[in-house]
Amino acid sequence: MRILAIETSCDETALAVLTERRGFLYLEKEAVYSQVNIHKKYGGVVPEVASRKHLETIMPLLEHTLGKNKLKNIDYIAFTQGPGLVTSLVLGVATAKALGLASGKALVPINHLEGHIYSNWLSHKKLQQNKTDIFPSVILVVSGGHTELILMSGHGQYKLIGQTLDDAVGEAFDKVAKLLGLTYPGGPIVSRLALMGNAHKYDFPRPMINSNNFDFSLSGLKTAILYFMEKKQKINQQDVADICAGFQLAVTEVLVKKTFLAAQKYQAKSIMLAGGVSANTFLKQALQNKATKLAIPFFAPELKLTGDNAAMIAAAAFYRLKNKRASIFTGEKIAKLEPRANWQLVAK
Amino acid sequence: MKEYKSKNQAETEKVAQELIARLQGGEVLALVGNLGAGKTVFVKGLAKALGIEENITSPTFVLMKIYQAQHERIKRLVHVDCYRLEKAEDLAEIGLADYLGDPANIVVIEWADRVLNLPKNTIHISIEYINNQERLLKLS
Repeated sequence: MRILAIETSCDETALAVLTERRGFLYLEKEAVYSQVNIHKKYGGVVPEVASRKHLETIMPLLEHTLGKNKLKNIDYIAFTQGPGLVTSLVLGVATAKALGLASGKALVPINHLEGHIYSNWLSHKKLQQNKTDIFPSVILVVSGGHTELILMSGHGQYKLIGQTLDDAVGEAFDKVAKLLGLTYPGGPIVSRLALMGNAHKYDFPRPMINSNNFDFSLSGLKTAILYFMEKKQKINQQDVADICAGFQLAVTEVLVKKTFLAAQKYQAKSIMLAGGVSANTFLKQALQNKATKLAIPFFAPELKLTGDNAAMIAAAAFYRLKNKRASIFTGEKIAKLEPRANWQLVAK
Repeated sequence: MKEYKSKNQAETEKVAQELIARLQGGEVLALVGNLGAGKTVFVKGLAKALGIEENITSPTFVLMKIYQAQHERIKRLVHVDCYRLEKAEDLAEIGLADYLGDPANIVVIEWADRVLNLPKNTIHISIEYINNQERLLKLS
């Protein structure tokens, strides 16, 4: 089975060709064109700019990825149908539809979040071997648009056990960065500055840390930092570093605590981290430390797969197809496929 | 113009709920206020009054979220966030026009001060920070 995957949910145009060799996933080709430098100057993704850039990039990237064999050896075309920015999604969806209609190959729509989850399978041979008992797994999905705790009981089987009630973790990093006058994207810069700060200098709230559920709230933490800054007025470079460190610690403590409470309640056999914020070393290390202490296997995607990419979309499609859980579209049915900007992987 | 002094989040939600009772449907609510002022809290109040059980989360990342309402006149709450937008045309790009002017919809726009040319029937709501708990709400 050889899968071509297309991902254009936000500001990355990505393509990948994935196949299986001797029981392991094998990434034959992958290409990611990131627009982050273009959007930096706006302080966030500008939908119209992203959309135009996808349009410019996708065909050359496709030719580069497929080479002279074109679609000849491809069995399935997987694509991100949602969630994401509709103006970005539409380019990937339209490309997949055109390829499917022209070639007669089957399309497999994939949820972007499920893709992030499968970046773990791409990163760990141990998961691909399917020898260790990992299900049920508690998965913490953290990104710019999502903060969810998902219980995965098998391939393609998910249950939502908790989520943010307001802002997503990545969004909170971006907004705190903005409050501090730092650049976009906020995540990497806040965590880099945090290395130079004292996380215990200022005590920020840990919203909902003792609530009797697995939901999160990050809006109040952002607000607390705003008040703190207004009160303090003069903020020097060391203060900025201390605020970054204190903020990161507060977020991490809440995420770690709830993840492991969920693991305990659902008797998880493993814990996974997924989504763009899984690039945060501090969070990853905190989860790893606690997992080691409790002797529960912990998986996080390798750094290059933490951001948006098409390899993870191909991997998600691969396991759906292999486990006969894929929605497959061929022929006339393809024409009806549309982007699903608000597609929830699992409803609560 | 009407002013409300809200003592806490619950009161801010209540102002939003009372506003819903006065709406015909088809209105645009333009919300203005700083980071942390309580714009999303206000939208949560609107959602409650419209019988929306889903949790209202920040639409900053996807720019627009649509919720199905359980209300006699209003069928949809369209929640838009202009925080990341540069110019008004970006709103058209995400397909907002499809939802404007339909009496079955209420469109609420956070960071509306970043968008010009709002429709005539727009209700402007500003939320100002007084202290940790209290807010000044102005409706016009």
